[in-house]
Amino acid sequence: MNENEIQLKVQALVDGELTGPEAKEWRGRLETDAGLKELHARLTAVRGLMTGAELPRTLPESGDFHWSQISKAIEREERQAKHLARPASGANWLLRWVLPLAGVACLMLFLTLQQTTRPDLGISLGSDHELELSIDDLDVMTFNTGDDAMSVVWLDYSLDLQQDEMDLWLD
Amino acid sequence: MPEKPAYSLAEDPQLVDLAKAGDMQAFEELVSRHRDRVYVRAYSIMRNEALAVDLSQNAWVKAWQRLEQFHGEASFPTWLNRIVTNLCLDELRRQKRARTDSIEAMEESTGPIENRMEMETLDPIEGLSREELRERIDAALAKLSDKHRTVIVLYEFEQLEYREIAEKMGTSIGTVMSRLFYARKRMASLLKETLKRDGLIE
Repeated sequence: MNENEIQLKVQALVDGELTGPEAKEWRGRLETDAGLKELHARLTAVRGLMTGAELPRTLPESGDFHWSQISKAIEREERQAKHLARPASGANWLLRWVLPLAGVACLMLFLTLQQTTRPDLGISLGSDHELELSIDDLDVMTFNTGDDAMSVVWLDYSLDLQQDEMDLWLD
Repeated sequence: MPEKPAYSLAEDPQLVDLAKAGDMQAFEELVSRHRDRVYVRAYSIMRNEALAVDLSQNAWVKAWQRLEQFHGEASFPTWLNRIVTNLCLDELRRQKRARTDSIEAMEESTGPIENRMEMETLDPIEGLSREELRERIDAALAKLSDKHRTVIVLYEFEQLEYREIAEKMGTSIGTVMSRLFYARKRMASLLKETLKRDGLIE
């Protein structure tokens, strides 16, 4: 144990932080070591001077003003707390529920349209092109072009559901 | 109509119960009773009047918000002082001042400086009133570094144990003991100096 540790042990004894056998041991050491005994006495004297020596002070502003500051701060904090805890307003409700639902609906619509969009045949339709749909069998589509002397027959299982749309598309 | 309680005659626990129920007037009475004490603690640690006032106000606001947590294990003023002390320690941590305290720097870089200082003898001082002694102690406290002053204020005035101080300051018990020892040596030295100068001791 070095000198510093010994001093701190003596201080702990003065402060009553040592108890039981350890306190007894250090009290014994004080009896046999004049230097330690003197240190103990000096620390005890400083402690004695400090006890209850905190200088009383008065708040440097009026009690009314001090209270008004405190009460304003309390009100302000309570208002903020209430604001945070308040149920969602109409706008908040819209943001929280309607917009996400609308987003999901748009996504669903987009995916549905993706499924029913016609494949791009890479053919630009001119005035001399014609498109024939068989009436009896709606899933068969025939395309003839006079320029290229070519006919294309396209079979589509979903065509029967989209006949009107196809008519519009071709117009 | 229920009779309005005589706040000024009520005991602290009764006022606390009323305040817990939302009675601001009861709380105002508590503020009126203990505001100086709260301010003194803040000032003792911070040594800055404006800051001590602000921290005192904050402590009262916190006390209002945490009244439900007060169950009377300690007295109401003691509980309040714990709140303001914690706020002061938070503030000291926040400040992280650029100013380097040369004594602390030495202590931390080259070992405990207290080994190189003698503990002064301070016998009971005749011819000095308690009030005069308090003023000299207060002046000496102002000359300590924040860390040393905080430890001695928490130990001597707030009457916390080593362990409690270590927890509050976020340090080890050994560091608290070392700082307290140095603070006492420095206080003894400063007091002896001022008492000698005033011809109160030889």
